Parts: sequence; C-alpha cells; structure tokens
Amino acid sequence: MIGGLDFAVRYPFTAEAKKFMEGVELTDRIVELAVARIKKALDGDDRPRVVLHDSDKEEEVASFAAARMMLAHLRNPFLTNRFAVNESKLARSRIDKADAEEREAVARSFGIVTREEGGMVLDLPTYLKYSPRSVDYLLINKRLARGMVWIKESEKNRIVEEAVKKHIEKLPFVRDAPESIVRAGEKLIAELPKAPGRISAPLNVKDHPPCVEKLLESAQKHENIPHQARYYLATYLLTIKMPDEDIVQIFSNFPDYAEKITRYQVGQIKKKAYSVPACATVLGYGLCCAVCRIGSPLNWHTLDDGRKGAIRSSMAGSDERKVAGKPGQAAGGAERK
Amino acid sequence: MNDSDRKLMTKIFSSYYLQSDLGVVAPEQREFGVGFSRKIESRHLSFTTAAELRSYLANNTPFFVSHSISYYDFPAATPMEKKGWKGADLVFDLDIHAEGKYGAFAHLERVRNDLVRLVDDFIKGDFGCRDVMVNFSGNRGYHVHVRDKEFRSLGSDERHELVDYVLGNGLDYLKILEDSGTKPPKLLGPRPDEGGYRGRFARGVLKLLDEKPATLSRKLTDQKTKDYFISGIKEGNWSRISLKYADVRTRLRPVFDSLPVTSVDTDAGVTHDLSKLIRVPNSIHGDTGMIAKVFEDPAKFDPLTDALLPSGQELKVSFIEDTPSLVMKGETIGPFKKGDEKGLNLAIAAFFVLKGSATLKAA
Repeated sequence: MIGGLDFAVRYPFTAEAKKFMEGVELTDRIVELAVARIKKALDGDDRPRVVLHDSDKEEEVASFAAARMMLAHLRNPFLTNRFAVNESKLARSRIDKADAEEREAVARSFGIVTREEGGMVLDLPTYLKYSPRSVDYLLINKRLARGMVWIKESEKNRIVEEAVKKHIEKLPFVRDAPESIVRAGEKLIAELPKAPGRISAPLNVKDHPPCVEKLLESAQKHENIPHQARYYLATYLLTIKMPDEDIVQIFSNFPDYAEKITRYQVGQIKKKAYSVPACATVLGYGLCCAVCRIGSPLNWHTLDDGRKGAIRSSMAGSDERKVAGKPGQAAGGAERK
Repeated sequence: MNDSDRKLMTKIFSSYYLQSDLGVVAPEQREFGVGFSRKIESRHLSFTTAAELRSYLANNTPFFVSHSISYYDFPAATPMEKKGWKGADLVFDLDIHAEGKYGAFAHLERVRNDLVRLVDDFIKGDFGCRDVMVNFSGNRGYHVHVRDKEFRSLGSDERHELVDYVLGNGLDYLKILEDSGTKPPKLLGPRPDEGGYRGRFARGVLKLLDEKPATLSRKLTDQKTKDYFISGIKEGNWSRISLKYADVRTRLRPVFDSLPVTSVDTDAGVTHDLSKLIRVPNSIHGDTGMIAKVFEDPAKFDPLTDALLPSGQELKVSFIEDTPSLVMKGETIGPFKKGDEKGLNLAIAAFFVLKGSATLKAA
C-alpha cells in the first residue's frame, strides 16, 4: 500500500516514510542498524535486508534516518556519497519490481510527474535537475519541445534513482547529534580501511587539460561521474604513463568504486591500447569545459604556460571574482572613491 | 579621456539616471557591482529599493553598473556562501567578436538574427519559457534574461547543458539522417512537425527545397520529383529521391550546420556561473554612452539609433584618430579623419569621446 509501513521500508527517503519515524525512540539497536547500513554501502552491497515483523520494519525505517543523522554529523563526503549511491541503487532495484502506482508515488515525491504527449514527457527543469550525467541523457540527444522532454519508462526510473541519490547527498542540518550517534560515528570513522579524501598518487606531469582537472576534482570530492568520463580519465592517465596502481587509487575515490571491476577495466584499456578520445569526442560526452582549441587533450602538454593561463582564465568564474571589490561593503549612498 | 571630458560625461550620465526608471526586478535581492574605468571595480553592493539605487547612480555616477543574475537573502554579504542563494535568472549573452574598435557594429544585424532564433526557436520554442526579456548590451551584443520561476533553481551544470544545447555541442548529424538497416535500405530522418533540432532541420530543408531546390539536386527543379521527395520527408522517410544517401547527407549538411546559435558567448560564463554580474538593463555602457536598452521587437530595434541617449543638444568634438562611417539615428556619420572638428548630437559626440576617438571642444 502506498504510504504504508512496507512502502516506508522500501523507500525510507519519502515524506510518507517520515511519519513512521515520529515518536520512535533512538535505541542502541537502531544506531547499530544505521552503522550496518553505512557499512553495507562501503562494501557496495545493495541487497535489501529482510524484515518480517512490524517492529523490525519500524527499526529499519528509523535506521535510515539515523544513518543520515550520523552522516550529517560526520560531514565526510566519501561516506555520504557511497551511502547515497548505494541507497539509490537499492531504491532502483525496488522501483524496477514495483507496480505502476508505487513507481508513480516514488517519482511524485521528487516532483517527477510525467504525462502522455505522444509518448512520455517530463518538464525540462525537472529533467535537467535529475537526469544522470551521461551521454544518453544529454539534452542534445533528446526530443525536446515546448519545455517537455520525451523519455522512456526505463529512463524515468533511472531519473528517479538519480533524484534519490541527489536527495540523500544533501545532508540535513544537525546541530547537536545524540551522544549515541556521535560515538558510533567516531567508531565508524576509526574502522575505515584507509583515510579517504585524498589523491596521493604521484603524477608524472604537473598539470592537465581543464576537463581532466575537473574530473580529478570530482574524484577528490567523491562525486560520481558517468561511465564515459571514467573511460576518458583512464585512457588519459594511462597515456601519460601513470602506473595502474595509482590510477586505481584515484578511482577508489568514486562513491561506487569496486576494486575488482576497476582493475579489470583499466587492464582492458591498457591491453587493447585504447587511445585518448579526441576533443570532439570529449565534447560529445558533455565533458568539455574550456575553449582550448587543441584537437586532442594530449596537446595540452605542448602549450606554453601563457596560453594555458589564458584558457584557464577564460573559464567560468575566474574573472570577476578576482577583481571583487572591498568585501562586505553595503553601498547605499556610499561615497565615491 | 581627459578630466574635463570625464566631468561632462559624468554629468550626462547622472542626469540620465536622475530621470530614468531602470526597472530592475527585485533590486533588494541583487548584488550590484560598479566600475568607473572598467566593468567591475567594486562589487557586493546592495540597495534596498529602486529609489536608493537611482540616488546612488545619480550621485556617484559609475560608468558601468551590473547586477547579479542571482537572487540572495543577503546580497551584500561576503564571502559568496554567506549571501544565501535563492535562485537565479537564466541569462544568455550574445556577443560579436570583431576586429577593431568599430568592427562589431557592422555585424549587429547578424547577431540580431541569432537573437531572434535564440529567443523564438530555443528559449520559447524548445525550453518553453514565457517570461523572457531582451536588451542591448550597450556595446556589441545582446542579453536575454529569462525569469520563469521553474528555471530559477537550476544549478550551474544544468545551465551549462542548456548552453551546450543552444550551441549544438555534441549534436550528431549521423543520428539525424539514419540508415534504416533494412532491405532495401531507407534513409530515415525527422518530420517537420517534430520539436527541437530534428524538426528545425526538416523545416530548414523544406525551406531550401522551396527556395533553392537545385542546391540539393537539379532533378528537384521538376515539381513532381520535388513533391514526391517532400511527401516522404513529411512522414520521416527521406528516401524518395534518386540520389545516393551519402550525397543527400553531404549536400544537406549546411542546413544542419546553420541550426545552432553560435554567437552565444560561453567564455564569460554568464549563463552557468551563478556568481556572475551582468550589466543592469537600461543602464549606460561607459565605453559607448549607449543605453543597455530593453526592447520588445528585435526587427524594429536599431542600437545605433534606439540605444542612444535622448538629447537634442549639440556638442563640438575634435577627432584624435580616424573613424569609419556609421549610420546613427538614420544618418550617415563620418568617416572622420584625425584633426576633424565637428558639431554632433550629444549622444553621438559622447559615443566618440567614450570610444576614445575624439575629445570635446570647449564651447
């Protein structure tokens, strides 16, 4: 039933689920389940936990809220993003199995409302907000008219998955977390296998084209990037002769990192000697972010520092912020300098 | 510009601001930036009312005034994170890149065509926006401000995607005209009633067939052959022509290439950089003395006439460099040679003085 306890267990991020959390006391058991929930995310285990009794179900819903509270307290982007990816995948697997009514209800909770217009259409602002950063979802490859984007049912489910992820990534504001949450959080951090959040791999070259730097920045912030972006990054790093180990280490920063898959794919790219995509292809992937006019990203290394600087300073947000005036000045009637 | 010229220009600007209502939307939620010799020398300014802004401009008279595309709770707060972002207009900047001080003015017409396509085909047609305002940039381009509420909360990446769409980045021609993969093979393409690039391509080709059918094939000058081809296009079947598909593709490529609006300036990041400041519509551009005027109908708007400061007064100027001839206020002005002295309408005199091509002669 939509809005029932089972619905809340399946989709603990919805407003309907919230009402089951009201008045629930934060027990040690719930905190324990919350920690387990985050650890599952770290292992990339997106199988649902089986719960049978109503009391178990309530605890299950509460464990999601407690996990978010813990993440909000910790403010660790690596953990938050891993958790968001895992929970959204879990939600997706449930959405795929759900009936139309249930799917609609979950989508609606994010304002994703589609209608029939010779196919399924979604309004443009919502589409832009929640479509995944992948070449198949680039607006340019979509049928678009009068503020409507035509999508397939499967794409809608993927868009909802992305909405779940974005929702969970946005942490609630927690001023004073309960003692039990703080303690469990500290313990969790201490147990983490390695200190996340840094790219320590040595780079043989000092700098990279802006598009690559942006991807490395995403890695540093533990943001998820689409498949083509990973492929591009891997071919590029291999070509500049970065050791496999270091590449794997960089990829370990991505929230849905799976070591085995990463090693295999890096190995495959190397074995088949795939070359770095040309700038035109990178543009097609939707990853180009500067006007370098170099044809291939590798030509970046043939540019002199002046040209590199000019390209960087022509990028968004790099000019006016630097000439910002005196801070904090409210100028109604200020004297002319 | 010498001090006495500067003084008079300041006086002209000041009296304009005293008399004008700039019509800034929600001034109390905008961050302002001003400059006296370049676009922005000081920012993080705020004004609680339009009257306060007017009094500031009339009394302090900067040569350049810009406001944020974003709306904030505390527009004067720094750093940026403390301003309390509430949303932002969707803004597009159409710019002409031309050689020389006056080169851009010869190309304003082309950019105006791009402006019409950007607003009608893309912003209103494809994006479905309704609250759209257009103004002259004050120098060599146009700005489009979209204020539809649904678009205000879009982040930087999403706005970037809209710019990419307008510029046609990543648009794949081979996907527009596809081989069916059947036997016999067919050439499949868009129908003219489709939305977005696909429909525009089909309509563009129909227009070409109507106006210059021979550019595609001489066979199409025969009405029957042409009608048969067109009847197919209307159904999305582009095969009803006795040409190799590869040739159809090659010869129709120019239609495809003309679809994006290439004069949208992305370098400056006006659309996707949410911290950006943009010239206040209806304010004066300090490099030209022209008004960044808001207008309704691009077909009826000529910047070199309609964006000039209103004045019947005449000023005498002395040219310090050669200038080309320009059509301003319906008259051919110039060309002038270095050393020429001439009495000109105040707005036109101010234009050449601010451009650094002339100085004022003492009356």
